[in-house]
Amino acid sequence: MLTTDTSTGKGPRQRQPWLWLLIAVWLATAVSGLRIVWAYDNTPGVLARAPQRWPAASALTRTMGEPALVVFAHPQCPCTRASLGELGEVLARARRPLKTFVVFLKPASFEAGWEKTGLWAAAAQLPGAVAVRDDGGAEAHAFGVETSGQVLLYDAAGKLRFNGGITGSRGHAGDNPGRAALVALIGETPAARDGASVFGCPLFAAGS
Amino acid sequence: MMTSRRATELFEQYQQDIYKRTDRLFAGLMAFQWIAGIIFALWVSPLAWDGSVSRTHIHVWAAVFVGGAICLFPALLGLFRAGRPSTRYTIAIAQMLMGALLIHLTGGRIETHFHVFGSLAFLAFYRDWRVLVPATVVVALDHMLRGFFWPQSVYGVLVPSNWRWVEHAAWVIFEDVFLVMSCQRAIVEMRERADRTATLEHEVRTRQQAENVASLTAAVGLALTRGTELRAMLQHCADALMAHIQGGAARIWTYTDAGKVLELQATAGVGIDSAPHARDIPLGLGVIGAAAEARKPLVTHHPNRDLPAEQAQWMQQQGLVAFAAYPLLLDSKLVGAIAIYSTYEFSSSALDAMAAVADGMALGVNRKRAERELERYTRDIESAHDTQRRNAEQLATVVDQLRVMQREAEAATRAKSDFLASMSHELRTPLNAIILYSELLQEVAADNGQPASVPDLRRIQSAANHLLELINGILDLSKIEAGKMTLSLETFEVRSMVEAMLDTVKPLLQKNGNTLTVNYGEGLGTMRADLMKTRQILLNLLSNAGKFTHGGTIRLDVDGTTATGRSWVTFTVTDTGVGMTADERQKIFDPFTQADVTTTRKYGGTGLGLAIVARFCALMGGEVAVESRPGEGSRFTVLLPRQVAEPVPDAMAAGV
Repeated sequence: MLTTDTSTGKGPRQRQPWLWLLIAVWLATAVSGLRIVWAYDNTPGVLARAPQRWPAASALTRTMGEPALVVFAHPQCPCTRASLGELGEVLARARRPLKTFVVFLKPASFEAGWEKTGLWAAAAQLPGAVAVRDDGGAEAHAFGVETSGQVLLYDAAGKLRFNGGITGSRGHAGDNPGRAALVALIGETPAARDGASVFGCPLFAAGS
Repeated sequence: MMTSRRATELFEQYQQDIYKRTDRLFAGLMAFQWIAGIIFALWVSPLAWDGSVSRTHIHVWAAVFVGGAICLFPALLGLFRAGRPSTRYTIAIAQMLMGALLIHLTGGRIETHFHVFGSLAFLAFYRDWRVLVPATVVVALDHMLRGFFWPQSVYGVLVPSNWRWVEHAAWVIFEDVFLVMSCQRAIVEMRERADRTATLEHEVRTRQQAENVASLTAAVGLALTRGTELRAMLQHCADALMAHIQGGAARIWTYTDAGKVLELQATAGVGIDSAPHARDIPLGLGVIGAAAEARKPLVTHHPNRDLPAEQAQWMQQQGLVAFAAYPLLLDSKLVGAIAIYSTYEFSSSALDAMAAVADGMALGVNRKRAERELERYTRDIESAHDTQRRNAEQLATVVDQLRVMQREAEAATRAKSDFLASMSHELRTPLNAIILYSELLQEVAADNGQPASVPDLRRIQSAANHLLELINGILDLSKIEAGKMTLSLETFEVRSMVEAMLDTVKPLLQKNGNTLTVNYGEGLGTMRADLMKTRQILLNLLSNAGKFTHGGTIRLDVDGTTATGRSWVTFTVTDTGVGMTADERQKIFDPFTQADVTTTRKYGGTGLGLAIVARFCALMGGEVAVESRPGEGSRFTVLLPRQVAEPVPDAMAAGV
């Protein structure tokens, strides 16, 4: 063959404004979707209207003269795994064992054992923690709790010292103000706050 | 220069290959991430609960729809617009967005953050550091915006520093630095590889071109020996060219000065028949005609710039990128042109080869034309030779016939002359007796007192004299024709000879009332000739003049002259008689011929006088000429050598 120089066939780049417009629309769509997810995850649940003193209606038995920690959890709520993770962090930092009740809701409509999920098993392994079944949400009602992941700390005198969540957002583990405050209160050091937003599934359906 | 350009092409080709390959890789990765996100969401957070009521968790929907929105568009770009900058930039952004989503779906696990760093490393597969820029910008913006609006979701604290995002971005940039260095290193290596490959290609190409040039030259050389006709030979040449120009086309024209047109002889190559230029191209028309007229080749790798729009458009349609037109020249003489189209640019050696091929074709065209001319000349010569041979045969036949006829004629002439000589002799004897006896009877009659008988006897004597004169003339002619007439040369005074002759002829001239004038030139002197025949010449001319002139003037001019290195004596007899026409002048020197048939009856005579004059002149090496016009008279000029040579027998016979 006589001819040798290969042509690359490259031509001048054609401007395609429609493509860039399409990319902009795509980017806006993706960012909007992410924003919805972020907004959902950062929307807190209903904070408990917990009694200032240990409720007499509660079946939970606290040791008199010792503080007690009560954590409410929906056994099927995926967000609560992060709350139990943070709870484990809190208990690990406690200088002495702390009486802890992890109360798992069991609606009456479900059969026995429904509450025995992975969360139950995880809670049972926490040091000093006791997993408790809450049939029909009696304990939740007694403590005025409506959101899974809700943490209540009563001191040795039975007085409420902390009311809130211990995650930064739904299902997100990591440092957060609620956990930090709880750790401080358990250590009987000054805390920046006595509560925080709670993130988790509602324990009760709306209107129930 | 060419190697450098090729290296750049190869480098760009490598880059493009990597871009496309990585785009497709990311297309698959995008799909994988999307599906993985959905599976993960279904596994970790399939349902959200409101007490005893459950519903699909928003993370599942986010994985499906937001993940789909993020992944599908760049995946499609990667599949259908691979290699474009916009595609890889979009993929870079999408990869970072997907990282943000996955981190979210995994509950912000720190492990999932490695997706960001892994994605940056993955993006470095492009070997294009610029794709790291939009990825890094997305990460920085994500941290900055979420730091403002949901700081807990990204930093785990409610009130972070406003510049916390810079710290996070800095770690990303930290990785970017290494990735950019890696990309640059890879580009350098890719450039080196391209240089090595281009150099190798150049060496291989140079070797192949040398082989191809030799092969092409040999192929065209072989083609030039094939085909009995010019067109067939050029078609072989075009086919040979095509065998060496893959995907191209070629045309060959011949040119002759007569028509000023390049005539198409041969075509080869796909699509060439739809070429915009005409089959026959007037010299100077179009790029091919112009190249032929200028006697200079035209080569271009830029049809759009150098060729007419129609031709450039046709080349583009055919996928042709290079064009070359060569005049076929033989010592600056145009004998044709070739046009070559190629799907590849011509190398310098290819152009040298085509120039050599053009020279070879010019020689081939010229050779074929010479062969054609030679064939035509050969045919003409053979035809002429045949004609000549036939003519020679016919001529030989005619010559043979003429020889036979000549021999027969000579035999007949000799027989006639012999007959005439003998007959004249036999006739003269009784005629002399009649003349003498009639003269004697006149004297007797006069003496006896019978004068009445004298006129009749005189008529008898006159008729006998005329008959004798006729017989003497015939005898002289027959002698001349028989080659028996001899010359009796002697030296005599010209003027004396003329004056003696005038004494004899004067009465005859004056009989018709004519006046005779004689003029002699100075220094006439003598001449050596046959006296009797010279006298006979003058007597015949003067008696003729007297015979055909009535009441006019007859003049005799005698003079000497020199011509052709010899000395001559001229005798000119001029009369004011009846004269002659041109046809009559043609015949008067033939024996027994007078001006016309009525002349003999009107003027008498034998018709032998001028014939004898002509033959006597010829015998003595002279000549006689006549000028005459009807009604104005005639002029006879006799030119005789002053020294007449002894005649040879053949010359005497030939002089008749």
